[in-house]
Amino acid sequence: MHILEEGKGEYLKVDPDAYRAWARDNKPHQMVSKLMSEKEAVERFVHDGDYLAYDCDYFHRGPNSLIREIIRQRKKNLWICGKFTYVDCSLFVGSECADRIDVGFIGFGPWISQAVREKKVAIYEYSNAIMTLRLKAGAMGVPFIPARSFGGTDGFKYSGCKIVEDPYTGRPVLIVPALNPDAAIIHVHQADEYGNARVFGTGITHQECALASRRVILSAEQIVSTDELRRDPGRTSIPHFAVDAVVHAPFGAYPGTVQGYYASDPAGVIEVMGAMYKGNFRNYLEKHIYSVSSHAEYLDKVVGAAKLAEMRRRETIREGYGI
Amino acid sequence: MSRPATNFNEREFTICQVARVVEEKYIYWVGAGGEPQSSVLLAKRTTAPNLQYFTEDGVIGPEALLPLDPLMNMVNSFANYRAIQWATMNYVADLAQLGYVDYGILNTLQVDRYGNINSNVVGRYAGGEGRRFGGPGGADSIAALAWRTILVTDQHKRKFVERVDFISSPGFLDGPGARERHGLPPGTGPWRVYTPWAMFGYTKDCQLELQAIAPYVPAEDVLAEMSFKPAIAAKLEVMDVPTEEELTVLRTQIDVAGQVTDRGRWVELSNGTYRFADSGS
Repeated sequence: MHILEEGKGEYLKVDPDAYRAWARDNKPHQMVSKLMSEKEAVERFVHDGDYLAYDCDYFHRGPNSLIREIIRQRKKNLWICGKFTYVDCSLFVGSECADRIDVGFIGFGPWISQAVREKKVAIYEYSNAIMTLRLKAGAMGVPFIPARSFGGTDGFKYSGCKIVEDPYTGRPVLIVPALNPDAAIIHVHQADEYGNARVFGTGITHQECALASRRVILSAEQIVSTDELRRDPGRTSIPHFAVDAVVHAPFGAYPGTVQGYYASDPAGVIEVMGAMYKGNFRNYLEKHIYSVSSHAEYLDKVVGAAKLAEMRRRETIREGYGI
Repeated sequence: MSRPATNFNEREFTICQVARVVEEKYIYWVGAGGEPQSSVLLAKRTTAPNLQYFTEDGVIGPEALLPLDPLMNMVNSFANYRAIQWATMNYVADLAQLGYVDYGILNTLQVDRYGNINSNVVGRYAGGEGRRFGGPGGADSIAALAWRTILVTDQHKRKFVERVDFISSPGFLDGPGARERHGLPPGTGPWRVYTPWAMFGYTKDCQLELQAIAPYVPAEDVLAEMSFKPAIAAKLEVMDVPTEEELTVLRTQIDVAGQVTDRGRWVELSNGTYRFADSGS
């Protein structure tokens, strides 16, 4: 294929054959229970130096209890898939967990800007949909996918994308490198103990993220029976064999919303936004992450039952969420 | 109810202008939050109740239940209420790539002569020197794939620049044919830019053209707030001010807390002419 133009950004090595071998050798083909604590799940399935993807973000059905656990365990040198996200990357950079970010959209606060200037964090440029397309290629077992966007931008120059001559039409077309993250964390509405899971409402890329990633941790608002899932198989979003760990995490997306289950906590949203922009991040990390040892303790001691009840009460819409 | 308003602010003016060009016969992909989302919500509650729009979280044709909580513009039961379909980001990008999206509506930090959009960095990119912003997000896909793109921004010299510091999302790049050379679908591109003071279109050779002005700002003031001289239409139109009905819907249903509109200068009708309320007598 004739290459017309290429970005100079570093990108995670593309190797679909290696992923196939991983799916054969390391993915749990048999239905086995994977219920565990967030501490155990993160200890076992997120490693220093991993490429980490997560779905949605800190305000919208994000895997926030797992994000907080990763920070609590002080993981190092993570390479973050920064698409459709806001404060999350600042949390990872401010806590010195991450040193590389593929950016579709992230909230740049003073922390990330300073880390970039000091060369503690490397940034590679994409768009949100180019990142989800990279995950889609990763979830299809192919090395790349063509796209009709992102060409002509300056972001392209700092990405792993290329523009090639399409062998079918002869016209220029952009291709994106497949992305197979080392680890993914995804928050879902319902899962069984094996990791069969349902996501209700819109989402960014939960299914692609689960299928593309080598090690996958789900946190679930509700643990349901497999019989319950079998009653309506069309609603299963993620199959068990893609999943390594299932963590029961009610209010796992606090301070964000989980559609149909609870509304966001506006004060909690504004508190973390303020920390990102005003630079009192260490206080935020201390109060919301390091001062507790688990998500359950966080909800109990820092957030409080009254606030959680209020979030449930404010989510008045049930229609479409299977409840 | 639909009489011209005598008191409004600049941002309300822009939102109403964009809402008025939104039509039910087209499909829109809209940047979430800010003026773009306010404009489609306003159109849906005034002139175009059956309007269909997408946001990048995969919502197809919602009928949002308002008002929305802060930052809850997507992946949220209120923003996505009673949609036709709930899907994912790749699905919406595919629909746009297929040609279903007639118009995209976006805002930007900077725009240049060719309608290129910068939402990454103001200043130098290299070494992280410039002031960094979030990145293109969904805007690059919208600007690349929608048949026509509407841009919303403020009328400031630092925003209208000869060349953006960083092309986050493509306008016409450097002129006719450039989009196609970089793999973008033919026949797509920028259509209009709206600011609180003016409306711009594009010339045949893809350059920004001043086409209309607000009744409270002379053309020379618009040009003074640009770092380059744009083309100017042979006849400059004067845009209509918001109506009382539009403002009532905007203020009581859409932007109740003033998160979007509570920043512009106020305009008032005084002795038969519209002028800035802070401009003295």
